[in-house]
Amino acid sequence: MLAAEKLVKRYGARNVLDGFDLTVAPGEITGLIGHNGAGKTTFVEVVTGLVRPDAGRLWVAGHDALRSGSAVRRLLGVAPQELALYNRVSVREHLRLFAGLAGLRGRRRDAETTRVLDELHLAPVADRPAGVLSGGQRRRVQAATAMVGSPPLLLLDEPTAGADPETRAALLAAVRARAEAGAAVLYTTHYLPELVDLDATVALARAGRVIARGSQQELTRDLPGELRVAFDDPAEPELRLPTTDPGADLAALLASGRTPVSVDVRRPGLDDLYRSLEAAFSERDGGEVRDVVR
Amino acid sequence: MWSGESVRRVGVLIRHNLLLMRGEPGPLVSRMILPLAFLALLRPLYAAAQGEAAGTEQAVVGTLVTFSLLALGISGSAILTERLGRTWDRLRGTALRPAEILVGKAVPVFAAMLAQQLLVIGFGVWVLGLRVPHPPLLLGVLLCWSCTLLALGALLGVLVRGMGELSAAYDIGGMLLSSLGGALVPLGALPHWVAAVAPVSPGYWAVHGLCAALVGDAATVAEVCGVLLVVALACGALAVGRLKGRSGRLVAL
Repeated sequence: MLAAEKLVKRYGARNVLDGFDLTVAPGEITGLIGHNGAGKTTFVEVVTGLVRPDAGRLWVAGHDALRSGSAVRRLLGVAPQELALYNRVSVREHLRLFAGLAGLRGRRRDAETTRVLDELHLAPVADRPAGVLSGGQRRRVQAATAMVGSPPLLLLDEPTAGADPETRAALLAAVRARAEAGAAVLYTTHYLPELVDLDATVALARAGRVIARGSQQELTRDLPGELRVAFDDPAEPELRLPTTDPGADLAALLASGRTPVSVDVRRPGLDDLYRSLEAAFSERDGGEVRDVVR
Repeated sequence: MWSGESVRRVGVLIRHNLLLMRGEPGPLVSRMILPLAFLALLRPLYAAAQGEAAGTEQAVVGTLVTFSLLALGISGSAILTERLGRTWDRLRGTALRPAEILVGKAVPVFAAMLAQQLLVIGFGVWVLGLRVPHPPLLLGVLLCWSCTLLALGALLGVLVRGMGELSAAYDIGGMLLSSLGGALVPLGALPHWVAAVAPVSPGYWAVHGLCAALVGDAATVAEVCGVLLVVALACGALAVGRLKGRSGRLVAL
């Protein structure tokens, strides 16, 4: 559905996108993570047509997105990072606007509006102006305007930033439902557990490129977890050991004669992946960034 | 370019922008009522100075041009609020083409501006006895003047960085363009240098065209309409150019 190849975008002397490659298939949720300034939002803006890249290619559903912007935007549902709503316009009217712009009319538009309101738990506030809603409700409205009309490609740029647990749960459920219905979803976030909940393919961006891509299991397979052992010893009440073989490491500890009070094993997660890749890239060789493709 | 789908999208956006105007009717209502109050209060002064017929004509034309320039804020804020709220980029991220967005915003604003002017003319005719022997000529000038106001307001909305700047621009700028044009005080009563620079002001051409329309001078009306449309095109082109920005990106803020 979405295929980006070697996208480059320069602002002055800085390459915000520097050979950015990414694909998202129909039915796939791809979680795009990375440090601030890695190029995530710029990539979303390129796909949306707000920013024109300086080099590279981009296809959406077979259309050359750099030549057929209008045709591509008909296929998109976009929820940008910054909240952008009309404060005096009701939630329902927001959805009617975006549904109408997506080509829905009459009863189809009204039915779709009602469906999305229910899906994101916005029905109780449907007729209230967006400006009086809570932050979490506004986030849901913004996501709803992207999802109304069931676009085949969803671009959600940090849709749960600052959101409460109810909002987060509703949004994740809606994203899962969209993917199950066949939509391709690009989801950027700093909150990594969401990607676990979504069972998303993870793409890690750094300095304008995607440096790692795969499932959470693939990407964290070779990373150490952590063995936490508590002792009844005031001098050393707890020991934390990085470990790729917790059983062997625990056996060695017991063989040393120490008796633990409790044992906890933490498997490697996306946070560990993020830290390990950041650490690897902080050791630059001659100023060049090494590609790590897992 | 203007397929059925395109027309429908513009229709959706027009409806939305009418909703936005309805949500904040204060500026529009004040621009409609204030000129009528101004006209009612000051027309006797113009009539005493210039005679009944000429004074009424000066009062109506001057009030129309002055308050329509002060209504530049309606056109400017229609764009500025989208920029400040970052909803402009949201619209650009939909299937809407840039021209469709501009038309969708322009139609309700154009209608509001024209309605204000027609209200002033109507008040002049039915309450103050203004004679309009050539309505088509008058309508022609009003339509062209509304295009100029739309484009001028759009340019302001694109250039300024906040509501305060916009307010200052249309308050000061509107009064300046109106005064330079001889709207509130006839040019003959002003210093010679004002009359010399007056043609720089679009307000001058609006006053000139409205007066020509009221006496049936079609040639002058055509000249004025041409000038006003050129100004409208120039301001519109500058506004669009500024919207696109230097890196090809539509400028939000």
